[in-house]
Amino acid sequence: MELLCLGLNHRTAPVEVRERFAVGTAKLGEAASGLTALADVSEAVVVSTCNRTEFYLAAPNAREALERLEIRLAERENLDSSVHDHFYRLEKNEAARHLCQVVSGLDSMVLGETEIFGQVKQSYKAAHAEGATGGILNRLFQKAFSVGKKVRTETSIQEGSTSIGNVAVDLAEKIFGHLKDSEVMILGAGEMSRITAQSLVSRGARSIFVTNRSYDRAVELANDMGGSAVKFDEWQSVLERVDVVISSTGAPHSIIHRSDVEKVRRARKFRPLFFIDIAVPRDIDPAVGEIEEVYLYDIDTLEQLAEEARTRRQRQIEDCERIIDSELLKLNLPGTR
Amino acid sequence: MDRWMLIAATLLASIGAVWGIISVHRGTRSPWTVVWMVATFFCQLGFLSIRGDHRGACPLTDPGEIRAFLAWSLTLFYLLTGPAYRISLLGVFTAPLVVLFQTLALLPGALTANPARVAATNAWGETHSATSVLAYGALALAAVAGVMFLVLDRQLKEHHLKSGLFRNLPPVRELLTSLERLLWIGTLLLTIGTVAGFMMPRAGFSSHLIAALVVWIAYLVLIGIKRIRGMTGRRFALSAVALFILSLMVFAFV
Repeated sequence: MELLCLGLNHRTAPVEVRERFAVGTAKLGEAASGLTALADVSEAVVVSTCNRTEFYLAAPNAREALERLEIRLAERENLDSSVHDHFYRLEKNEAARHLCQVVSGLDSMVLGETEIFGQVKQSYKAAHAEGATGGILNRLFQKAFSVGKKVRTETSIQEGSTSIGNVAVDLAEKIFGHLKDSEVMILGAGEMSRITAQSLVSRGARSIFVTNRSYDRAVELANDMGGSAVKFDEWQSVLERVDVVISSTGAPHSIIHRSDVEKVRRARKFRPLFFIDIAVPRDIDPAVGEIEEVYLYDIDTLEQLAEEARTRRQRQIEDCERIIDSELLKLNLPGTR
Repeated sequence: MDRWMLIAATLLASIGAVWGIISVHRGTRSPWTVVWMVATFFCQLGFLSIRGDHRGACPLTDPGEIRAFLAWSLTLFYLLTGPAYRISLLGVFTAPLVVLFQTLALLPGALTANPARVAATNAWGETHSATSVLAYGALALAAVAGVMFLVLDRQLKEHHLKSGLFRNLPPVRELLTSLERLLWIGTLLLTIGTVAGFMMPRAGFSSHLIAALVVWIAYLVLIGIKRIRGMTGRRFALSAVALFILSLMVFAFV
């Protein structure tokens, strides 16, 4: 019996190809079961996420099984032969190694991301429930999950935030703890503001105020996020109550000055205030950051923090690979030799 | 025996401090710090109960006993409040202070070798001593929380966010809340201690009581300003640390 993997991902195939092979979560088990109906395929698991679709099979002859699977996929999707170039074909130990890398987040678009672990687990469970797995894939997937956990606990592969939005949210949590008692104001209804604010809301921020030069746009974004729109010339009155300010207007000069914040300090009882300035040119005068209770982060600082986290994660890859190799050696799984 | 108990408590707290500092340096949390501090607490209890037995009263007679009692009180408040605020890290900051107080208690001449029985005890006097030292335990822990805030505030202000210490420090708002709560508890206990001090039999106003009154008023003003007018976290934390150090110095010389 031999182990094999046929797949495509964000590195090998554009989205218009990936979407043709995507399998809905509800159909993962059925798809795996369908593969075991192919001649000589004994076990199968189908992993499908927005960035990848992979078929893990156990078959007496890997090469033949791969060929049959590719023909079947091409027939089903009515594709020309060029699509084959987007697939990677891995056999035996390479396939096992790849699965461990996927589960550990090493093959993800955002290195070290954790969502993939749950997605692969869901795929395996679906195949298992349909009776599409057996001795080889059961052992392989269980091992991959334990390797994934080990990689995450013994290395820093998932530490730090790698996007500006997440860095900002992590900082907000470092200042305010649980965000359920925190209120947020967005200045400028740009895309970055929306993404960052959404991250804050997803982590529990209590309420959102949106202000924009175009009031209609502010209302639109506020409705999208379940917040309240504020007229642009009234944002200072809201500053008294909010904890986080995200600014991303297209103004060519500073919008928030030290004097604006000084005016509301007494009313705020000098509570901490977190400013996130993701506008270029900057919306917030750097002098605002000199106020004692103010924490000011601009886009360069946030990007630098995200980059540092990405670099830290990159440095961990070697350690992660070492763990994977050593654990696979211990597994000694038939089909991988 | 009592001295050995205090030495053991000091060693245990030292291990807790070193262990914790190493963990923080590595960027991990040290769940063992609390274990060392619990062991420290029981050794402190052993010391105080032996001394209390000898004295036939609350063991707050010589400078060594007062310092050891203060260390016990600080440990007690840490164990009571720590779980809410990332117990291991508060312990890392508290343990060195416990070691300092106990080392000062162990200095030659601080602890009476053969503690004599207290001739006449007075309920007001006992209440004054016990609640005042307990109050100082809470106020010391407030100062520890203040130092933690100042460290975190500086790191956030200067964008130095890579250290293991930064990752393990609790959020700004939690630190300020715990600082304020500890100051309230400490001031409340100090109020009882100060009132009891004025009720105990005495010949006129002693400089000790006047100093106690001044310290009590200072803490009352601090929490009053924070509650009514508000205060920046940095000033609040700095005031809590400065007031604690000043009050200790006052009592060392008065």
